[in-house]
Amino acid sequence: MPVAAAHPIHADPRLSRYDPLARVIYFDDFDCGLNGWTTLVGNYEGSIDTMTRSYARHMQPMLSQITHWDSGTHGAFDGTYALKIATRAVPGERNTAIKRVTFRRASKIRVETYFAFKPEANELKLSDLDVRSVGLLFDLQDGQQRVMPHLRYLNALEGQRMNRWQFKQHSTPFRSIGNRSETVTHDHLSPNDWEDIAGAGQTLCYNEIPTKINWHYLRFDFDLATMRWLEFQCNDQTFACPDTGSITIPAMPNLACMLNLVFFCESDTAKRSFFYLDSVLLSGEF
Amino acid sequence: MGSLMRNAYTAVLARGEWWQAALQTEPYEAAWAAEALFFVRVMQTGDDVADGSASALARVQISPDGLHWIDEGSSMRIAARADSLAFVRVREFGGWLRLAVEVPDGSRMQVVATLALKA
Repeated sequence: MPVAAAHPIHADPRLSRYDPLARVIYFDDFDCGLNGWTTLVGNYEGSIDTMTRSYARHMQPMLSQITHWDSGTHGAFDGTYALKIATRAVPGERNTAIKRVTFRRASKIRVETYFAFKPEANELKLSDLDVRSVGLLFDLQDGQQRVMPHLRYLNALEGQRMNRWQFKQHSTPFRSIGNRSETVTHDHLSPNDWEDIAGAGQTLCYNEIPTKINWHYLRFDFDLATMRWLEFQCNDQTFACPDTGSITIPAMPNLACMLNLVFFCESDTAKRSFFYLDSVLLSGEF
Repeated sequence: MGSLMRNAYTAVLARGEWWQAALQTEPYEAAWAAEALFFVRVMQTGDDVADGSASALARVQISPDGLHWIDEGSSMRIAARADSLAFVRVREFGGWLRLAVEVPDGSRMQVVATLALKA
C-alpha cells in the first residue's frame, strides 16, 4: 500500500509526523513565535507577596536555537527555534509553560509534541542525572469538577536513575489568599504525591554528552466527556492507563470549560535543566 | 518567523524579587529578536532605605553560549525609590541577554524587571 494512502496528511510534511484527531485545536510551531505560550504564575491578591513562592519563581519560556559552546546551533526538529523551559540552577527547582484555552465540546482530546531535555552544558561530563523530570498536565473543568491529569517522565531523583513515567492524584491543601474570599491557591506541582504508572518504565535517547539532542515523540490522550485518562505514547512504547487517576476537586468559580495545557521541567541538581519542545499539536474528536 | 507581522514578546525576568548586593538575572534567549528593551520598575524599597539612596546600576550582558558573559556596554541607573522606572535599549546582541545588577550596600529594592523583544 502506498504510504501516502495511509497518511493523507503528507500534503503537509509538518503534520505528517503527527497523528491528530479529527479537529486540530491548535498546532504551534515555535519557528513562528511563542504562539500564546507563557509562564504559569501563582494567584495573588493585594500584594504580589501573597503568591506561593514556588510559583513566584517560575520564569518565562523562550525561543531557543539550542546553541552550544562546542558545536554551535543545534536547531529544532524542523526550522530553527524550539520552545525552551529553563529551571534555575537550584536542586528541585521547576519551571513551566502554559497555554490557556477553553473547550467547545467535551470530546476525546490528544496532545502531541516532539521534545528533548538536557541540563546546562557547563560540565565536561555525561550529566544524564541532572534533569529530574519533564512532563505535562491539563487543567480542566466541566460542570461538576476541576480535573488535573499530571504526567511526568522521572529521569532521576536525588542522584538515582529512575527512567519511569509517573502521575499524581493529590495536590497540596487549598490556601486562601488575601481577605476578600475570592482567591485561593494550591501547589499541584509540589514534589510530593507522585506515583509510578504500573509498567511504565522507559529508557530514552539521552545521547552521550550534554550538547547532543535527540527529539522524542510524546502523545497523551484524555477524554473530556468522562474526565478519564486513555493512554499515552512515547516513541515506540504505548501505555494504556484507563485506571490512572487525576487530581480532582469540586468545580470552582470562573473556570467553566477550561482547557489549559502546561509543560514543566524539574532539576535534580544545582544546574539549570532545559526542556525543549519543537512544536505542540492539540486535537479533538469532534 | 513565518509572518509579515513583526514578532514581539515580553518576558518577565524578575517578579517581585528583592534585589540587593550583586546579582544577575537568569539568561534569556532571544536570537530571533532584532531589538530589546529592558525595563526595571521599583515596587518598593526596604523600610530601612531612605528615598534618594544611591541608585542601583544594571549592566546589559551578552554571551556566545549562555555560559560565559561579557558587558555589552549599555547600562541603566535604577533610582532607589518606589515607582521609579528605568530602561535600557540594545540591538545586535546575538543569542542571549541578561542584566548584571549592583545594588549599593545599605539599599534594597523589590522590582519587576521585564525584557521587551521585537523581531
